[in-house]
Amino acid sequence: MSNRRPWTKRIRPLFTLYMPIGPFVFFALFPLYFMFLATFKQDAELYNLDAIPFLITKRPTWAHYQFLSEQTLFWSWFRNSLVVSAAATVVSVVIGILAAYPLARLKFRGAEAFGIAIFITYLVPPSLLFLPLTTVVNRLGLSDSLWSLVATYPTFLVPFCTWLLMGYFRAVPKEIEECAMIDGCNRLQALVKILLPVAIPGIICAGLFAFTLSWNEFLYSLVFVSPSESKTITVGVFSDLIRGDVYYWGSLLAGASIGSLPIVIAYVFFLDFYVSGLTAGAIK
Amino acid sequence: MMHRNSLTTSLRRRFTRRQFLQAAGGGAAGLAGILTAGRPPAYAQTRELTFLTATAFVPEADLEVKRQLEEWGAQNRVRVRFDIIAHLQLAAKKAAEVQARSGHDITCLGPGLGDGELYFDYLVDLDDIAPSIGANNGGWLNESDYIFRGKWKLLPWWFGAYPMAYRTDILEKLGEKVPDTWEDWLQVSKKAKAMGHPIGIPIAHCGDANISLFSMLWCYGASYVAKDGKTIAINSPQTREVLEFVGRLYREAMEPEVLAWDDASNNRGLNAGKLFAIHNPISAYESAKASKIKIPGSEREIHEVIDHVNSPRGPADRKTTSFYYCVGIWNFSKQVDLAKEFLKYHFSPEQQHKFIAAGRGFTMSHLVNLNRHPVYGINPKHRHLPEVAKATVAPAWPGTQTAASQLTWDLFVIPDMFSHFVTGSMTAPQAIEWAERELKEIYAGRRVKKS
Repeated sequence: MSNRRPWTKRIRPLFTLYMPIGPFVFFALFPLYFMFLATFKQDAELYNLDAIPFLITKRPTWAHYQFLSEQTLFWSWFRNSLVVSAAATVVSVVIGILAAYPLARLKFRGAEAFGIAIFITYLVPPSLLFLPLTTVVNRLGLSDSLWSLVATYPTFLVPFCTWLLMGYFRAVPKEIEECAMIDGCNRLQALVKILLPVAIPGIICAGLFAFTLSWNEFLYSLVFVSPSESKTITVGVFSDLIRGDVYYWGSLLAGASIGSLPIVIAYVFFLDFYVSGLTAGAIK
Repeated sequence: MMHRNSLTTSLRRRFTRRQFLQAAGGGAAGLAGILTAGRPPAYAQTRELTFLTATAFVPEADLEVKRQLEEWGAQNRVRVRFDIIAHLQLAAKKAAEVQARSGHDITCLGPGLGDGELYFDYLVDLDDIAPSIGANNGGWLNESDYIFRGKWKLLPWWFGAYPMAYRTDILEKLGEKVPDTWEDWLQVSKKAKAMGHPIGIPIAHCGDANISLFSMLWCYGASYVAKDGKTIAINSPQTREVLEFVGRLYREAMEPEVLAWDDASNNRGLNAGKLFAIHNPISAYESAKASKIKIPGSEREIHEVIDHVNSPRGPADRKTTSFYYCVGIWNFSKQVDLAKEFLKYHFSPEQQHKFIAAGRGFTMSHLVNLNRHPVYGINPKHRHLPEVAKATVAPAWPGTQTAASQLTWDLFVIPDMFSHFVTGSMTAPQAIEWAERELKEIYAGRRVKKS
């Protein structure tokens, strides 16, 4: 009799947790599985309507990865995306911290309006902004260089980082900063030495989001950067692997698979911080 | 306490608020200076020629243009840069460069000739080079198509011929001859569909749909604009006849998926062994050959049973069209003379011969002599391409190429007219009236300026 209860306790999560979540996990992971599998299929199998789409039925091949590495500048694009995303993330998070702190902590005239204005700029779509930004980028002499992206990506990263960090900073008790200031810290010291260490989850969350948006960005990278060796992964893969009405499916998916790895790795390691950062402002 | 005070003091000595504001103000002034000057700092201005184009189906064609540009650059001691982007993104890139009045020197224009009107005020006149290029190459195919308000604003570069690509093995099983008219293709395709192999003509928002449906209009004696390039001519008995024909084609010989196709869908359908025939350049055949795709259920490669014949004819005519890629020079380029020199070099008979050869039969020239290039005789399956080129006219035929005709193409007005009818959402008269209203609005908003 005493053994039955532990057994039912053990099996209950299967019905109350794993089975309900299972379809969602399948729905989320299946495209990745399909994409990854297709990168090892020969072209003949990819076009074969009788083939089983969820398995590799013929000899797997590395040809698509080889084509990607040897016939395109894929690794240059990968490196460019990494550099641009990292730089834009650092710039945006720093500016976001410096903007969010006064908006969250200081009381000055127009603070609320300024906060709303910052957020509204996030709502302006890049498809409207790319034309005037082209003029700015060219006048700064940054066109066709990766610096044009580092300079323009913060236009949509900073508003979101600021908004996210504002919410996070408000959730941190201001008493701990006040204690530090009583002990002799100035505002900047209170920010750097007291608030930022406590707000690490929020900063990581903002950084993750900024990195993801930068990594996936397409329009500005297409318009501001033309040389093949300076393209980012999103534009490079699209330009070289879609030629007229011919799609190099295997290599396209190989590029997408490799391109998704940095984001996947980042989220795997920092998921807890990400969730904590997003939800911190919701709990008083 | 003493330690904290000395720490605070040392921080103050390193950087005061006044010093920060002075540095920020200086930086902002410098930035404002650059922006007001309207040009990059002096060190960025160099003697360089840049060329932007859309990726060609045949990578070797792009490589040949790059080789020619580098060769010319080395001979003339000019630094050159050749950039390619996907053809679908070319419109955004052109708009951005015109907006900024800065970008590449030579640009690919199109697909379509309407860019000559749309960007008329931003392109350099090429009257001093275009006639001589034509004369050196046996003349231009249809010179009047390429001139806007009496001026050469662009040079027509290449287009892809649109034959019918079909499965010879399926035709053999059906015991039929190769069709020549659209009606014949319908009759044979009905039987092929019964065998599980429908024909594939897109009725969707893609370039292939524009091309095939424009072709059908003309082959039945209809057109959407008159010869004057201004009068909307879509509302005619001939258009009604084409609509009825496409309705039968859709119901009896195709599948509904054609309503959602993009430009790659018909290639995929033919290469996967599903479709009997498509109206498409040789790209499907060539990619099947390169990828060694097999006939389903067989070890035989499918390219062996794909052949090409001339674009079909109708009761009135045999006409088709294509995507026309052109080149032009932006008038904000700082290297206009150099750009013209390169275009003269690239369009010389010797270089054009190499460029067409690199296209392996996919790229057709607008220059008369190049349509007799031996490349079209190398592969017997390309033997009809010169005939297709002869039947190819500009997209706004019989009217002139204008910004309005380009907009008609870009907004897929004609494919939408057909899709409204074949899906039953409109009757034939309703669909034609709808298209007429749309076209009149487009043409009213884009009147041709008098030169």
